[in-house]
Amino acid sequence: MSYVSVSLPQLLLSLGLMAMAIAISSHNRLGLERDLAIGTVRAAVQLFAVGLLLTFVFQNEHPTTVFGVTAVMVVVGGWTAARRIAHGPGTAVLFRHATLAVLVAGVVVLVPVFAFVIRPPRWYEARLVIPISGMILSNAMNGVALVFERVFASINEDAAGVEQLLSLGATPKQAVERHVRAAMNAALRPTINALLTVGLVALPGMMTGQIVSGTAPDQAVRYQLVIMYQLVAVAAVAGALAARFARALSFDEREQLRTFPDPRVR
Amino acid sequence: MVPRFALAFSHQVSYQALRRRMPALLEARRLRKTYGGRVLLDGVDLRLAGETVTTLGGPSGTGKTTLLRILGLLSDPDEGQLLLDGVNLHSVIPHAARRRIALVAQAPVMFPGTVLDNVRTGPRLAGEELPEATARALVVRAGLPPELLRQDAQSLSGGEKLRVAVARSLALRPEAWLLDEPTAALDAERADLIVRLLRELAAEGAAILVVTHDARALEQLEGPHFQLSSGRLVEGRPLSGDAS
Repeated sequence: MSYVSVSLPQLLLSLGLMAMAIAISSHNRLGLERDLAIGTVRAAVQLFAVGLLLTFVFQNEHPTTVFGVTAVMVVVGGWTAARRIAHGPGTAVLFRHATLAVLVAGVVVLVPVFAFVIRPPRWYEARLVIPISGMILSNAMNGVALVFERVFASINEDAAGVEQLLSLGATPKQAVERHVRAAMNAALRPTINALLTVGLVALPGMMTGQIVSGTAPDQAVRYQLVIMYQLVAVAAVAGALAARFARALSFDEREQLRTFPDPRVR
Repeated sequence: MVPRFALAFSHQVSYQALRRRMPALLEARRLRKTYGGRVLLDGVDLRLAGETVTTLGGPSGTGKTTLLRILGLLSDPDEGQLLLDGVNLHSVIPHAARRRIALVAQAPVMFPGTVLDNVRTGPRLAGEELPEATARALVVRAGLPPELLRQDAQSLSGGEKLRVAVARSLALRPEAWLLDEPTAALDAERADLIVRLLRELAAEGAAILVVTHDARALEQLEGPHFQLSSGRLVEGRPLSGDAS
C-alpha cells in the first residue's frame, strides 16, 4: 500500500470546512469568527513551519539535529508546565523542576522502548524518534502541569490542616500525603481513561495516521499499543517526580509550610 | 479580706519560688519578628515553666498568634532563640520537637474521618496505634461524651472541635501546651472544664501558655499573666474588667 497525496489546491478546498464553522458561529452569534479565522491561519503556519523543520531534519539526519529538536521539546514542555501555577514558588523556580521532571520521565520511558521494543535501524532515526518523543514528552508535560497545579492549590487551600498535622509531629511528607496522592491520581486519570476507551470511542491519531499512510492495521495497532503504554508510564514517572518536587518546594529546611501568594492576584 | 495588692504580691512570691525550684521547660529569648514592615515581636523573652499556666492577653493584631506559632515551631522568628529543656530547638529535628509541644488553634481543623480517627492521628503519624479505650478516655477528659467517638469530626460544633483538638494533643502527652483562646467558643460550664483540665495538666508538670481574653478563665488560671503590647511582653494581670 502507498499513501494518497494531497495537493495544495486540494488542501485549499478543505478551507471550506472552516468557512462552514465560521458561518455557523456568525449565524448563531457565538462571536467566535475572529478566533476561528486566526486559528485557521495559525494552525497552517505552525504546521507548515514544523513540516519544513522536519523536512530539514530528515534530510540532514544526524544525532545533533535529532536530539537538538528533542531537547527543544523538553525545554518548551518544562516551560509550559511551569507557567500559570497559582500559589507556587514562581515560574522561574518551577521551570527548572518541571524541565527536569519532563527530561527524566522522557529518558526513562523513551530510551528502553527505542532500545528494546521499536529498535530503529539507526538509533537517531528522525522519523521515529521525533514524533514518538513529541507524544511522550507532551504527556509528561501535562502530567507535571496537573500535579503542580493541584498540589500547590490544595495545600494552599488546606494550609491550616497541613499545619495542624505538622503540630502533631507529622513530617512534611506525611502532612501533604493526602494532597499529593490526589494530585497524582488526577495526573494519571486522563491517560488511564484514554487507555480504557481506546478503539471504542475514537481511533488514536498516530494509528489513524499510520493506516492513512499505508501501514497495515495490525502493525499500526502494535505501534499504538506501545505508545499507549509509554504514555501511561511517562505520566506516572513525571507525575511522581513533580509531586516530589512540589512537596519539597512547599516546605523550608525547618519543615515549616511555605505559603505562596497567587501571582495573578495583586 | 486580703487586699488585691497583697494577693498579687503573694502570687509573685510563689511564682518566683517556683522559678527557682524548677528549670523552665520552654523558653524564648529575644524573639523578634516583623511582618509586612510591622514589628510584631520586638525582643520578646518568655519562660514557660513546668507546672505553670501562663496567660497572655493584649489587643488583637498585636502578634499573640504569631508568638504562639513561633513557640509551636510553625514559624521562625527573624531573630532570637527557642529552648526546650535547655536545648536549642534549632538543632532538633522539627517534627520530633513539635510532638512535645501541643498547639491548639482557636478554630482547629478536623481531619477527614471520625473523632476516633482524629484522636489517633498523632500516635499514628509516629507509627503507633492508640487503643480505642485510651482514645475514649482522652475524649472524656477533654469534656466530650464518649459516644461522640464514632461521629464524623467535620460535623461537630466549634466548641466540640476545640475539645477534639485538645484530646488529639493529649494523645501525644506533650510537655508544653500552647492554646489560642481555648474558651472563646465554649459556654461557661465547658469553659470551666477546659480550665480545670489545664490546671490538671500543669499539676502533672506541663508548661502551658494560654492566649485568652476570657475574664472568668483568667481569674481561674492563677499563673503569671503577660500583655503583648507594641511587640513587647509586659507582666502583670489586668484589673478586673480590663480582661474582656
